[in-house]
Amino acid sequence: MRIHANMKMTDLVHLNFEILAVIQRLQIPFGFKDKTITSVCQEAAIDVDFFLQLAQWFNERDNFPQEELIQGDPQWLITYLQHTHRCYLHYQIPRIEKEIELLEELTDIPDQSARLMIQFFREYIREFTEHIEDEECRTFPYITALSNVIKGEISLADFKQKYPDYTIDKYLDNHSDLEEKIFDLQSILLKYLPPPSNNCHFTNLLLEIYRLGKDLKDHTLLEENVLIPKVRRMEAELKNRESN
Amino acid sequence: MIKILIVEQSYLVRKGLIQILEQFPEVTQIEVLGSHMGLNEVLHHFVPDILIINTSIEAALPDRSFENEVVDPSKIIHLITTPLPPGSPSNQISIYDSKLTITEKLTLCVRPLGMDDSEEPENSEELTSREKLILKHVALGQTNKEIASKLFISTHTVISHRKNITRKLDIKSVSGLTVYAILNGIIKMDDIS
Repeated sequence: MRIHANMKMTDLVHLNFEILAVIQRLQIPFGFKDKTITSVCQEAAIDVDFFLQLAQWFNERDNFPQEELIQGDPQWLITYLQHTHRCYLHYQIPRIEKEIELLEELTDIPDQSARLMIQFFREYIREFTEHIEDEECRTFPYITALSNVIKGEISLADFKQKYPDYTIDKYLDNHSDLEEKIFDLQSILLKYLPPPSNNCHFTNLLLEIYRLGKDLKDHTLLEENVLIPKVRRMEAELKNRESN
Repeated sequence: MIKILIVEQSYLVRKGLIQILEQFPEVTQIEVLGSHMGLNEVLHHFVPDILIINTSIEAALPDRSFENEVVDPSKIIHLITTPLPPGSPSNQISIYDSKLTITEKLTLCVRPLGMDDSEEPENSEELTSREKLILKHVALGQTNKEIASKLFISTHTVISHRKNITRKLDIKSVSGLTVYAILNGIIKMDDIS
């Protein structure tokens, strides 16, 4: 089925429930009644095109709307990424942490192994939090300021004073890979940990980790293939203006 | 276990290629990019075994350094939007090629890569004693350089061992390798502070 602006929001969710993640991350309130995508988005002050691009991509994974997303206002993408961060930090990751802590109670997993897994995951949480803080405190404000200069909302002089030498390459220098350890965790649990008899709990833990891993992949894709090229384009434009 | 990255602007061409590639059981992951933007980042972190790229995108790249850096040049397939004469090289695919021709060309590229895995005995995932020794030092937090000088081998050798360890275990990070080493008694919990 083709996704379009005049279809009902509920039909869209019925079509593919993964799109719920987009709805949640754009903070669109539920209670859709029979409203169309357009009216739901308008009421929540969300850019309809941006919503549709993400919804279409969630529904058809190998058709990533890269150029369309780059063309759009970077502020939407930043909002989306920020809410995604919240969701990881306040919901998905604490849930996984709790599930890993429960491993210690399973009698067939040696205490030492359970503790190792907890340590491994807590170290990951620390790195994850640092990574996100760097993005939210340095990179995102920089991108917002850059976009405001381009739009003429702040002056070039003000921008230069605030960011004399920051560029997106600086961000990439400390851009650690958030997915790597999640995939390591999958391998360790799936292949190397002694099998627990409480399959239900263990499977659920694995499912949550898989979901997070998949989500992080999307997140990286948005950053690497949309946000960074967009910023590079804006940086080039600014340079161009300065030399003119 | 073959990873393929397709860099092609046409939706129809991408879909067609994916359709054909999905017939190869060796191909486990396919990623898609619609332009050169973000290509270097994706190459670095997806590390495809085969790169299929439209020649007009290649021509638009600011520099062609990506070839030597991440992807072996012999594992790049060039997508061409004009017809090719019969008997054209297997690393060039024209959008006018028949499905059979495209499948044959891709087979020549995919099969040799898949062979490595299938020819090795089943227990090939087991670490050799040398690899276990390297793993032990990695898990204890030593750098490649430190390991090299301790074991009287080159850093290059250490790196190549580490690549094999990571491939066999499916674990990339040092802390992940440390967990594996402790779980398997290669080092003790007390060895790390």
